[in-house]
Amino acid sequence: MGRMRKSPGDAVFQFVVDNYLVLVLLVMVIPIWRVFMLSVTPQVDLADRTFGMLVPPSKWSLAAYRQFLTHPSFLIATWNSVLILAMGVGLGLFLTVPLAYVLSIRNLPGRKLLHTFILIPFLFNPGLIPSYLVVTGLGLYDRLLAVVIPGAINVYNVFVMKNFFEGLPEELKEAARIDGAGELYILFKVVLPLSKPILLTVGLFYGVHYWNDFFNAILYLGDARLQPLPILLRNILQAANFNDYVDINVFSEARMESLKAASVFLASLPMILVYPWIQRYFTKGTLSGGLKG
Amino acid sequence: MNKFKAQAFLALALALCVVIGAGAQAKPVEIELWITGTASEAGPPPADWAGYRIVRETLGIELKLSLLPTTFTDQDMKINAAAAANRLPDILHVNRDVFIKLAKQGLLAPTDELMKKMPVRTKTHYDDPLRNKLAMYKGRMYGLPDPGKMPMTDGWVIRKDWLAKLGLQPPKTIEDFYQVAKAFTLNDPDGNGKNDTYGFGAFIETSDITNWGLGVRFDPILGAYGVAGVWDVTGAKNFGLNVRKPEFYDAIQFVARLNKDGLIDPDWTTLKKDEFRARWKQGKYGIMRENFAALSTVANYPAFDKNFPDGEWIPIPPPVGPKGKSSEGMLYVDTRIHVVSKRAIDAGKGDAVARLLEWFATDGYALAMFGEKGVNYTLDADGNISTAGLPDPDKSYAKSAMVPILQLRNLASVNSDWELLPRYVPHKTLNGRTIRPLEIWRYFTTQPWTEATAALLIEPPANKADFERFYTENLVKFALGQQALTPASWKAFLAGLDKLGAKELEKSAKAKVEEAGLLK
Amino acid sequence: MGRSRIESSTPPGRTLTRRLSHAWKFRGMYGMAILPVAFFLVIRYLPLWNAQIAFKDFSPLDGVWGSPWNGFSNFAAFFRSPYLVPLIRNTVLYSLAKLALGVPAAILLALGLYETGHRMLRRVVQTLAYLPHFLSWIILHGILLGLFSASEGLFNEINRASGIGTINYMGDPATFPFIVVFSDLWKEMGWGAIVFLAALMGIDPALFESAQVEGASRLQQVRYITLPGILDVIVVVVLLRIGTILDAGFHQLFVLYSVPVLDVGDIIDTWVYRQGILNADYSIATAVGLFKGLIGLSFLLVFNRLAKRIAGSGLY
Repeated sequence: MGRMRKSPGDAVFQFVVDNYLVLVLLVMVIPIWRVFMLSVTPQVDLADRTFGMLVPPSKWSLAAYRQFLTHPSFLIATWNSVLILAMGVGLGLFLTVPLAYVLSIRNLPGRKLLHTFILIPFLFNPGLIPSYLVVTGLGLYDRLLAVVIPGAINVYNVFVMKNFFEGLPEELKEAARIDGAGELYILFKVVLPLSKPILLTVGLFYGVHYWNDFFNAILYLGDARLQPLPILLRNILQAANFNDYVDINVFSEARMESLKAASVFLASLPMILVYPWIQRYFTKGTLSGGLKG
Repeated sequence: MNKFKAQAFLALALALCVVIGAGAQAKPVEIELWITGTASEAGPPPADWAGYRIVRETLGIELKLSLLPTTFTDQDMKINAAAAANRLPDILHVNRDVFIKLAKQGLLAPTDELMKKMPVRTKTHYDDPLRNKLAMYKGRMYGLPDPGKMPMTDGWVIRKDWLAKLGLQPPKTIEDFYQVAKAFTLNDPDGNGKNDTYGFGAFIETSDITNWGLGVRFDPILGAYGVAGVWDVTGAKNFGLNVRKPEFYDAIQFVARLNKDGLIDPDWTTLKKDEFRARWKQGKYGIMRENFAALSTVANYPAFDKNFPDGEWIPIPPPVGPKGKSSEGMLYVDTRIHVVSKRAIDAGKGDAVARLLEWFATDGYALAMFGEKGVNYTLDADGNISTAGLPDPDKSYAKSAMVPILQLRNLASVNSDWELLPRYVPHKTLNGRTIRPLEIWRYFTTQPWTEATAALLIEPPANKADFERFYTENLVKFALGQQALTPASWKAFLAGLDKLGAKELEKSAKAKVEEAGLLK
Repeated sequence: MGRSRIESSTPPGRTLTRRLSHAWKFRGMYGMAILPVAFFLVIRYLPLWNAQIAFKDFSPLDGVWGSPWNGFSNFAAFFRSPYLVPLIRNTVLYSLAKLALGVPAAILLALGLYETGHRMLRRVVQTLAYLPHFLSWIILHGILLGLFSASEGLFNEINRASGIGTINYMGDPATFPFIVVFSDLWKEMGWGAIVFLAALMGIDPALFESAQVEGASRLQQVRYITLPGILDVIVVVVLLRIGTILDAGFHQLFVLYSVPVLDVGDIIDTWVYRQGILNADYSIATAVGLFKGLIGLSFLLVFNRLAKRIAGSGLY
């Protein structure tokens, strides 16, 4: 970065920005840290539920994680979730990218109509029964596709991506058009290589949505072998509030508080794994490489 | 030997098929079953579960099982969506509201004919005329009212060690209760030198039209004034909303006093069930109404025991009010309604359904409750369930890893002593005291209760959300002192209820109860 | 839908044939849109067609089309509710407050991450700031109780120690709305920043270089390059949230509200839940969903125009 010659004003600016980030960090991290501590605290130490639980416990316990990981359905549920995520991200991008690209063409005849067409279903939520009739009508009950298809195009993602496409220098596309390139060629060879940040972002949004979606799974999946991870977590976490009559201790090792806390980190697993890698594309100046290369 | 003939025929047919090499095999009937699991968080039965095999081989039924989601809302959602698409499974578990709705929509098969095909089950499961009324729609049975939860499970309990520490006697009257709660709050009953205890612990636990308002955790207090529950269904003369009685005013006034004097955990309006339970396990409360199993089973007690090895909860009679009344709460005949879809009968599956359900009451009963004999349980000399002498103790029915094979208990259970004894086993505390959960329950059952089964028949009004909110919100605000409790404000509250249609609701409720022949 | 001036940028198409021949040039584009449009027709528009059950007495055996019409009966319970006005008021106020605080906070965080010179700091904040998004409200309820509970909350311990006395933050109508708005802010800020961060990546770095040459300060660069560079995304995000203005966050309110704060905590969706979902009456949810869509649509039309006039760009 060559623009580091600091004027006094810029130094103040830098100081304010950095301290602001540190402040955000603290505000974000303290409660999360507490949740993490809760997830590794053995049950004997759990008496103190107040905010005092910021220091690591005397003895770390992975019981809560073990409880999830050794659940008889854990492996199959994780596998189902991975499948759903892969199909969801794939289908989501496959449908979102061309739609967003078409919407971003400023002089397309019928552009307005197309926008309206996309926005209407975004604004009007028909509710449970009308959607259920369609999905089961397609014969999707008890198929993983039933939880993939309903969320495959998210209008918010379409608009965000379209917006990014619109911001790309128009001259690049024009140049390709003058060279006689087809639209698909322009999309793949000119637009997409410059759009990594938004592709990753939208892909991430889809991935997180599918990883954590339980609603459609409750509705459309009955077969135990098809249940994804969020259903497993939900069953475990809600048991505390609904089973008064537990005579058998299903979860003897870890307390509810720890299980709840541990579930947070399972829910955010794809993010935790993928985000550090994505971050490389999230630094100032990414575009310049694309433009020149 | 009809069965033998059938089997022989089947074998012959099979052999024939193989010989001819045609694809026409004698296929087992597929029965799709949606059921509330014993503990769905433990996961479904494994594919090699003995039950699947036995049902396939002896009954000719291929069981397709789905465990319903854990929460009632999720269950209702899934069932209602399937109903809307007219693709209900063959047999499913529903709550009463959904039962009425499905029956109205004509999606359920009448069950009286079906019951004739399962004589044993009818005798063991459907012999209570009162309970059978809960599975009726327009005078005909459209559901199978299986025995639900055990009755009278929740009752009034107190910290015995705190009483001893402060030299107090267990409270008898409602005024005694106030005094003991006060001492528990102010006199440091746990001797930790901190002002961190509350005499009374509760939270707002409401689920339906029978317990709106302060909810069931306050029932013993309201019961002392003779007004436990939303409805009085004890007779034709006094049928109606309890709030119309002057005693209800007194009861709320008492709760308001408890609250004002700080004898009840001030978080009572915001706590949720698991948070409430975490608090009594941390020694915050001296008196409460709690479920015997949540209080004392081997699954639940150790968390409290570890914190307070000398702590001890004992059941005591619910407080007696100024007019000598007392009650642990509302007494229901509980049921778990299983219904058979009309679709199943139309598809000719009636016989198979009856065969399957009868099996769960006969040959399959013990398998569903405790697993396989000699593998998961043994029988002692008295014929009681035991785990002695099992070849692999890890396969004992009492191990948490075995819960998946017991998920179908709800289709078999009849709450007999033979079932309950091995489920609620006595256990020892860290100090070596013996805790007997069933004794606590038995104690609750000997206390006075308020009969309320008929209230289950009452359907919520069309403006349910508004009515419930107005009713509950006002009572809670009176109790909190956010709204002054005076005869005038109480009158205004009752007038507000009438404006929302309380009188019409009472009228239709009475008609429903009368129609079922439960109005005395 | 309203007309806008952008249309005028299309070449004159006075006759149908000329219009068609102009459109033909875009056949590649239309081809690309076929699959997504087909998807929308089946997965989004068929349910909207089925949403006619909002005006029907739906019976599964008769099907959607065969069920008898019943006019506006399904809407009656909602529009006759004595709580209608407070429900709408609460819903709109929460929506607006979350929008007014949440979007600027997310932008600010994205800007901070974009502008900081500390690589480590950027990485750490970026990696951790989105995590709260994954806490479910049930878990947050526990955390908030640890902070704000009347009997054992951290703040009340401080209050009591300093002689202020106990304040039941979660159960007091005066403090509850702040808990709702700020817990949402905390939870969604980092997650919300991601979209702006992605948009920032679309800014041409050459712009900064030339600005430096002209001697612009860092702050001026933010003001004249960075912010204008993501203005369009900000407009899109704000407009889409305005279109769903009657969604104030069901899961949050459902978990956090309690009886004494219903006056300020009950929103349209929680009411629908208690009225319809708990009652297994789903047509009311569909009916109210249509009502919410209608309101959202009208807001969107108005604000889209406003945005075009003020910021120079709208949703389309």
